[in-house]
Amino acid sequence: MSAVSVKRSTLIGFLGPSIFALLAIGIVPLLYAVWTSLHYFNLTKLKNVEFIGIENYATVLTDSVFWQAMGRTFTLLGIALPIQIALGLGIALLLHQPGLSFLKTLTRLSLVLPMATTYAVVGLLGQVMFNIKYGVINQLLGFVGIEPVNWIGDPTNAFALIIFWDIWQWTPFVALVLLAGLTTVPAEIEEAAKLETKRWYTVLRYVQLPFLIPGLTAVLILRTADTLKLFDMVFTLTRGGPGASTELISLMIQRVGFRAFDQGLASAQAIILLIITIILSQLYIRLLYKEVG
Amino acid sequence: MKINRAMPGTHNRMGMQILLLLLIITFCVFPFYWMVTTSLKTQLLALKSPPVWLFEPTFQNYTEVLTKDGVAKTLINSLIVAVSTTMLAITLGCPAAYALARFEFRGKRDLWFWFITNRMVSPIVLALPFFLIVRKIGLLDTHLVLILIYLTFNLPIVIWICTDQFRSVPFELNEAAMLEGASPFRIFRSICLPLAMPGVAVSAIFSFIFSWNELMYALVLTRNSAKTAPAMAVSFMEGYNLPYGKIMATSTLIVIPVIIFSLIASKQLVRGLTMGAVK
Amino acid sequence: MKLSASLHSVAAAAAIWCLGTTTASAWTLEEAAKPYAGTTVDVVFLLRPGYEAAEAMLPEFENATGIKVNIIKHPYENALGEQVRDFVAGGDLDIALIDLVWIGNFAENDWIEPISKFTSNPDLADPELDIDDFFPLVLNAFGGWNDEVYGLPFDNYSGLLFYNECMLKDAGFDGPPETWSDLKDKYGPALTKDGKYAYALQSKRNETQSADSFARVLWPFGGSFLDENFKSNLMSAESQAGLKFRQDLMQYMPEGIVSYDHAEAVNALAQGDIALLTEWSAFYSTLKSPDTSQIVDCLKIAPEPTGPAGRKPALGGFSMAVAKQADDKEQAAAWLFIQWVTSKANAMEYLERGGVPARQSVYQEPGVAEKYDFVPALVESWQDGVPEFRPRFAEWPEITEIVQEWGTKIMLGEVSTEEGAQELGSRMEAVLEKAGYYDGKKPLAQ
Repeated sequence: MSAVSVKRSTLIGFLGPSIFALLAIGIVPLLYAVWTSLHYFNLTKLKNVEFIGIENYATVLTDSVFWQAMGRTFTLLGIALPIQIALGLGIALLLHQPGLSFLKTLTRLSLVLPMATTYAVVGLLGQVMFNIKYGVINQLLGFVGIEPVNWIGDPTNAFALIIFWDIWQWTPFVALVLLAGLTTVPAEIEEAAKLETKRWYTVLRYVQLPFLIPGLTAVLILRTADTLKLFDMVFTLTRGGPGASTELISLMIQRVGFRAFDQGLASAQAIILLIITIILSQLYIRLLYKEVG
Repeated sequence: MKINRAMPGTHNRMGMQILLLLLIITFCVFPFYWMVTTSLKTQLLALKSPPVWLFEPTFQNYTEVLTKDGVAKTLINSLIVAVSTTMLAITLGCPAAYALARFEFRGKRDLWFWFITNRMVSPIVLALPFFLIVRKIGLLDTHLVLILIYLTFNLPIVIWICTDQFRSVPFELNEAAMLEGASPFRIFRSICLPLAMPGVAVSAIFSFIFSWNELMYALVLTRNSAKTAPAMAVSFMEGYNLPYGKIMATSTLIVIPVIIFSLIASKQLVRGLTMGAVK
Repeated sequence: MKLSASLHSVAAAAAIWCLGTTTASAWTLEEAAKPYAGTTVDVVFLLRPGYEAAEAMLPEFENATGIKVNIIKHPYENALGEQVRDFVAGGDLDIALIDLVWIGNFAENDWIEPISKFTSNPDLADPELDIDDFFPLVLNAFGGWNDEVYGLPFDNYSGLLFYNECMLKDAGFDGPPETWSDLKDKYGPALTKDGKYAYALQSKRNETQSADSFARVLWPFGGSFLDENFKSNLMSAESQAGLKFRQDLMQYMPEGIVSYDHAEAVNALAQGDIALLTEWSAFYSTLKSPDTSQIVDCLKIAPEPTGPAGRKPALGGFSMAVAKQADDKEQAAAWLFIQWVTSKANAMEYLERGGVPARQSVYQEPGVAEKYDFVPALVESWQDGVPEFRPRFAEWPEITEIVQEWGTKIMLGEVSTEEGAQELGSRMEAVLEKAGYYDGKKPLAQ
């Protein structure tokens, strides 16, 4: 273990500012949210704030609309993440192969573009490109003889569209993380393995995979958290519609809290979301990171 | 014979690779191409069906959003907020990361976990209570509020990446310095921090990108004087008309700085993405 | 001599007296604004034609008064949230921009001042205010709540039927449909062909769904949101007939109509893709301008079609009211601005610049009806509109969210009109129950 014990004051000096900052900025509002969630607290009826115990929680837990939104969020994660990992791994392996270095540098640079793009802009771009009439995508599809697709106005298509943009934006991220992981494999081990077997997946499974696990874990944690947080892109692309077909959990809470102004109910929803998030990240970090360490 | 038969195969594989790489590049770049070209179209042209590929570009959308709609001011706001919060996150986060990497104390793992968990919290959880508190202390619509609230996701990122980076600094250096009687802070400041610079740089890049792109807090906590560029872009979405050209011009203005920035820094970025591989 | 002297003095006195009254009655904006020069008034504006018109007129006001009007622009969908948060926070808005469905909310929260506070002050009240010149329906619906007037109508809409006369002629129609059933049964089949559609009903899941789509099919068929006891009236035969009519009509609308907001619908008409469109009067300038419309010469305007229960066209619009949170100076300056921008004297300029004033007098001016061909239909619509086209009470923001969600679900066929209306009704009643309408705590006002 490469760590030393230090004086308490030193410890506080190093850690204190961060802990204090996050406590003040993160925890105080959180406590306030808990307080709000136990009240009838409507922004447009602040005269009638009253303590109602766990009624808001009971409403949330039995509200099918809430769980449908939650379900959609996990459906998105369940479909998009495997595709992102598969494509990302493919791209990483491709870029990891020797040769064509100019083109590969170019590819690496273009991979940076989607992940740096402002999320809200992605949604706006989606509106412009996938518009049924003025959109370039339907035009391109037309070239290969496909009839115009109603992307934004059809519930299933709209959800597919969300998945598409999520994949567009985050596959590069996964690819770059895995590529970075591949470069940590000691060259001599990889060479030796490649001499021994011709099958690339054997190399992948037994030689490269162990070095990819930390990256994959990070991807899993970050993507899960970010999907639960996903708001900007969907907000600007579909606003949750048509119907409720793309109303993810953050959009729903935003709608209840900032459009119907029922802050008490929205806080209860947010806190349930937070609990789910914490349980999931606990699971990921404890299970997966232990395996690594 | 054998060689002859193998050769076309290699060629094919090479051709396949080139094709795939070009496909990936197109996939990543095409939306940008479309964004920029749409921003150079007039309103009537932008709403042409089917879309036009060749046209005479106009900068009218840019002059309009910059001079008339005040996008320039929001870009400056975004810059102020993103730079300040990044600097603050680095200043606060680096010592904490160092402590997590180098010091032995009880509850270390839990503390690390708590830091990281902050990154997971959905902004929707904090946005409203934060709004209500901020309105009480009269800081609504100020840069400071955004700078502070953005710490909730920047600080964890800095701590996450930098902790790993500090761990990779050879411990012998610490021991040697300790023997010479250097204080922990001196060791951190003069020995380990310079060596951990790549990680610090990566976390700074990430903080900057995340802050620059943030929308929800900006929507809730600012109105006018501290309004950031993404919040501005969204405000063109009035259901009454579809100023596609203006929206795309604003989008381009938002995206270009961060793209240039991350392209310049892409080497560090890719290196930093090992995400705890160095343990 | 004595007599003449006294006569003289009487004359002089009379002259002085006359002079006195002249000064008193010659209320001028410049004079009234003197104490408030340099005051800044903060107000939310939307990105719509009426606001652009007012913004263009603004320098005139600022030069005359020295009052600075600081405009904060928001899209409609954010405007309520922004203002609510500002008022809750005791922020710096001095004028509230109130959609007619927000008036109950703003009034009950005491965020706005009744206009009587200013009209009773001779230093501030323009003698030419002539409040009765506003269309009574509009003044009452946009600016009034519980028999008190808070806001003056500023950006005013009525639903109108815009149509492409050329397309109608080609299909053998001499004029627009008189009734909704004609629209569906005669115009629908005849005009829906070759990739063109007869009609579009903007139905995006936001206020557009509640106001322009859902409510629009309720009222003409005799339906309504609530009955007299404030229980859901959506299961009534009339409401159901309206909702079913909308489902049937969808076959004559472009695909993906649930994602159409105003912009898409107006553009569809402007590009010649649809023949008929019920839209707000405010879109006249968009459809009439060659920059944004390809059907300038074919565009004609009629009142909305009638249903079994009459015309009942869509009604919407915004008033401006002075915010309570403003200090005395800001309040006075805010009032002067509201009074000025909605005044009789400025109505013509506002109209010419693309706004739609709610002043009756301006539409009687010679030539106006000829120059702006939406005027006759508009004036007719404002005679027999329904003020509670959408209920205006404080609970509307919550209820509209429910209508938007279930209204689009019905249109998409995810639920039947009965199931949807049932669900919508019970959720709506839950909100009203919580608000205290059913236990007599609150008067049944909408």
